[in-house]
Amino acid sequence: MSEGDAREEFLAEAQEIIEGLSRDLLLLDQADKEGRDEPELINEVFRGVHTLKGIAGMFGYHQLGAVTHALEDLLDDLRLGRVSLAQSVLDVLFEGVENFQRLLGEDPEGPPVDLEAYAAAIDQVQAPAPLARETLEDYALDSSVLSVLTEYEEHRLRTNIEQGVTLFRLLVRFSLATIDSSLEELKTRAKPLAEIITYLPSMGGGGGEDIDLEVLLASRASLDELREALGDQGEQLSAVERRTHAPSRLPPAPSIPAGPGAARPTSAPPAPLPPASIAPHHQTSAPAAPAALSKEPAADLLSLRSVASTVRVDIRKLDHLMNVVGELALVRSAMAGLREKLQRLTDEKILTRDLHRIGRAFERHLSELQDGILDVRMVPLGQVFDKLARIVRQVAREHEKEVQLVVTGAETEVDKLIVEELSDPLMHIIRNAIDHGIESPKMRELGGKPALGTLALNAYQKGSHVVLEIEDDGAGMSIERLIETAVRRGLMSHAEAEELTHEEVLALVFLPGFTTRSSITDISGRGVGMDVVKTNISRLGGIIDIQSEYGSGTKLTITLPVTLAIISALLVKVAGRPFAIPITAVQEAILLVPQQVRTLEGREVLSLRDTTLPLCRLNELFGLESRDPGHRSFVVVTALANRRLGLIVDELEGQQDIVIKALGPSLTDVPGFSGATDLGDERVALVLDAPGLLEELLATTEWRRVGEARLAEGPR
Amino acid sequence: MTEELTDARSSLPAALGDSVPEDATIRDVLSFTLADEIYALPLGSIHEILKTPPITHVPRAPEDVLGIISVRGRITTVLDLRRRLHLEHEPSSARARILLVDSGVELLGLLVDEVHQVHRLTPAEVELSSMVSGELADYVLGIGRPGVGRAAETGASAELLILLDPESLLKRMS
Repeated sequence: MSEGDAREEFLAEAQEIIEGLSRDLLLLDQADKEGRDEPELINEVFRGVHTLKGIAGMFGYHQLGAVTHALEDLLDDLRLGRVSLAQSVLDVLFEGVENFQRLLGEDPEGPPVDLEAYAAAIDQVQAPAPLARETLEDYALDSSVLSVLTEYEEHRLRTNIEQGVTLFRLLVRFSLATIDSSLEELKTRAKPLAEIITYLPSMGGGGGEDIDLEVLLASRASLDELREALGDQGEQLSAVERRTHAPSRLPPAPSIPAGPGAARPTSAPPAPLPPASIAPHHQTSAPAAPAALSKEPAADLLSLRSVASTVRVDIRKLDHLMNVVGELALVRSAMAGLREKLQRLTDEKILTRDLHRIGRAFERHLSELQDGILDVRMVPLGQVFDKLARIVRQVAREHEKEVQLVVTGAETEVDKLIVEELSDPLMHIIRNAIDHGIESPKMRELGGKPALGTLALNAYQKGSHVVLEIEDDGAGMSIERLIETAVRRGLMSHAEAEELTHEEVLALVFLPGFTTRSSITDISGRGVGMDVVKTNISRLGGIIDIQSEYGSGTKLTITLPVTLAIISALLVKVAGRPFAIPITAVQEAILLVPQQVRTLEGREVLSLRDTTLPLCRLNELFGLESRDPGHRSFVVVTALANRRLGLIVDELEGQQDIVIKALGPSLTDVPGFSGATDLGDERVALVLDAPGLLEELLATTEWRRVGEARLAEGPR
Repeated sequence: MTEELTDARSSLPAALGDSVPEDATIRDVLSFTLADEIYALPLGSIHEILKTPPITHVPRAPEDVLGIISVRGRITTVLDLRRRLHLEHEPSSARARILLVDSGVELLGLLVDEVHQVHRLTPAEVELSSMVSGELADYVLGIGRPGVGRAAETGASAELLILLDPESLLKRMS
């Protein structure tokens, strides 16, 4: 593995850990708000940060190392109960995740990480919580057990006691050979009802192949319920008695078959080193080893196993595979050509038929291969939603708003590249929605709305597209203010603005530089950046639309193709040159009847089933020679969301699956094309960028209106 | 082969500069014709020489872009070197080739009329660019005179190679 590969691997792994952290913190945040105690989540976060620290050190990310180190301390205090969880602590933790992202270069445009300030923030929340020492004494716990508890276990024990949770003692005998799986089984059975605080090898017990364990559990369930849940492992379960201030009593250090029975009293005094407790201490060196090993590693083994069934793959490798598939498709058509030639040249019917059959099989497997690779590229939108949930929380807190995020369709799958490219635009939209859409709790109550604002994020598949809706129940947009702003900015006259429909006025927010906020202190005014959002979405072959009702909320709808890697396309010819139009953008293709073409305000339109379709002659747009007028031409009706445009082409060549390849950096500024594709026989066809063309050719609002086909009274 | 190429690429400008180290005596360049003149590019900058496939014209692209081709599945932009060097336009013949050259950002194709040969130039066979003036100066490293010594002995006239600087030649594209 080269250094570059190793670095890639590190970045990928770090990214994965950070995403996990982000998820866990959100859960923790929720638990905290609901007043639940989630020690396992804190542990999870601690482990994540710890791992990150390890790999950061290995790859020389010293700043990252420093942040993880500081956070690790805080988390350690948190899980040991030295610091208690609060929103302020969660803020620091979330900020930590942001810092990780930045330090990894995820967000190079963000402000640089101020490590000192962050360390100070950590220090501030790290003030120790008071410890309650005395509580443990009240329980009939073996001092030999207490003395070997780790700090964490002791903390969990105290917390449970403080919360009035009953303690139970369980004696089990496990075979040394299967101790790991038995423990795992025990944990699984206990988990719904109880927390396992510790397990220690019990003295005296077992021998040879077996080991006796004393397990300390905390549970709100009754003895019987817990015993039932534990099944055959729960036979020796008993409650730990509370002492009634009599001198501490020590359990008799029973060997396993001592029988169930609750808290066996014993006369042994809680001497610093009672004779009976020498044995366990003595024993810990040996049997404690498997116990200690089996704790963490058992969990690690599980996670290792689950990881082993998945692989992380660089998307470029998949691109490469896709290219190979494309090449194979070319080989296939070459073979088909050869077969036809052979058919003409020879009478060998059987041979040509076999060849045909093999060709068909090849084709079938090839398309399976193609589907398989496409499938691998698909990832659930949930990947980007998780990041957004973090933003929602952060922005809501910054602006002192109460917002709940409701997500549906997180499992909807989209090409990995699209998911990556979506995160920025979505982040922008969400910031805007909270910043300017959702009102402050007070305002909401005055307006008769619940104080808690709702931000809904819905995703679903619709044909070969994925639709994403971002909807808030906030203030909505004022048509009057939008118009006023547009006029003030000189974008149009008052008279022109009056002509606009509701939707057209809303679409003004996508114009570069448009903002309704007059205050310059407001950095994320709605409108700033919405043009960028729109550009980014178009680059993905998508379209964004806006709906808003003043007073009741705003909804943005993004329509995206499922994949960019391979698409079905309509091949056309203009001036003898082939072009491909993504089929998802094509509504229909019809023969052009020249007599039906009218001119409307200097531009050609066609009446099509009672609607007016703006036309674009591709040969003129592209500066190519035109055919003599006697020749027939076709109109390809392209449509996205509610916009339509008729592209006039010379010939229709048919439909074909194509692999879109990017044009080189020197051609990215050329408008109208989203890439090119290899058609085989050495021909390369440009792929039309349908959203881009719609945008370009329907740029003025007048034409957009015609394109949106809402004018039923178009010229006949 | 690759090593030789990278080696040539990295040290050629030094070899052609003022401070030519004594040991850097021989450098390889590939010569080709464009509008009846002979040009040369450092061999190390050339990744591949291709026969010209049909070039797909890209509407609304910059003027000196001829179009795109597919090189084993990778879409590659082809530049019109004649236009870049302000030479007469002429339809290309069957001898035309495309040189694949790395611009630092991408591999670009350069259409040339005909590819000749590889010359090994000694410092004595290279004149610096100071004598070239005009628009071409930006793109020219110097003039190569392969076999200038031998030519003097035999009385034959030496070939003139216009040595192009791939970096400045392609920079404007990226």
